[in-house]
Amino acid sequence: MQIRITADAFDSQAEIAAFTAGRQDAGALVSFTGTCRAKTGDVAVEELRIDHYPGFSEKEIGRLAQETAARFACLDLLVVHRVGVIRPGEAIVLVAALSIHRADAFKAVETLMDYLKTDAPLWKKESGPQGARWIEPRAEDHARRAKAEEGQK
Amino acid sequence: MIHLVFLGKFGDVAPAGLGEIALPALTEAGVRTLADLNHWLAAREPLLGRTMAATRTRMIVNQCVAHDLSQAIADGDEIAFLPPMSGG
Repeated sequence: MQIRITADAFDSQAEIAAFTAGRQDAGALVSFTGTCRAKTGDVAVEELRIDHYPGFSEKEIGRLAQETAARFACLDLLVVHRVGVIRPGEAIVLVAALSIHRADAFKAVETLMDYLKTDAPLWKKESGPQGARWIEPRAEDHARRAKAEEGQK
Repeated sequence: MIHLVFLGKFGDVAPAGLGEIALPALTEAGVRTLADLNHWLAAREPLLGRTMAATRTRMIVNQCVAHDLSQAIADGDEIAFLPPMSGG
């Protein structure tokens, strides 16, 4: 399992190529890349700033990834998350899962993203011509998180 | 010395210089536990206190989630204040 928090821009394709290099045991690779939008609704976004708590953020994201990998029988999981200042069009987060069959990899990526939205110690601030605001999970994020948890029981 | 870390929007309203507090100063003010520390902070920094009271705030002591605010603080502790998270 690989968890990386980085202040540098990353290339999802290159990350996935390195993650899967030389592997012959997986029958499925699923990945998701979240990118910075230039607009939230009607509000223009010039930049996103993501704060983290060094040490704790890595540890907590690792714990969420470990739970997800075990639950869906992943052969391996990759999480890359940007912090610092991010511009529209740049990747914010990459989650990739390898499993023997596709269903596990699909579910693992979706579930881990749901967890990251509400439980990863990261704080997002959007800035644009209309000012800056801290983003908090939406009701929809909490609902998805609850549903992901429900599936575990 | 107690090290305080304010994340996200708390960092915007926490004044610079609040990152390190000498333990004797806290002890003299009657601060023994995490709950005491919250009260002390709210009295000293009303804007920060209001911001923390208006949202769900979690405290992390030495990188572990504090579940019990009656937990005593000790010299060298790093205590972080976390607003609701928004990753992904």
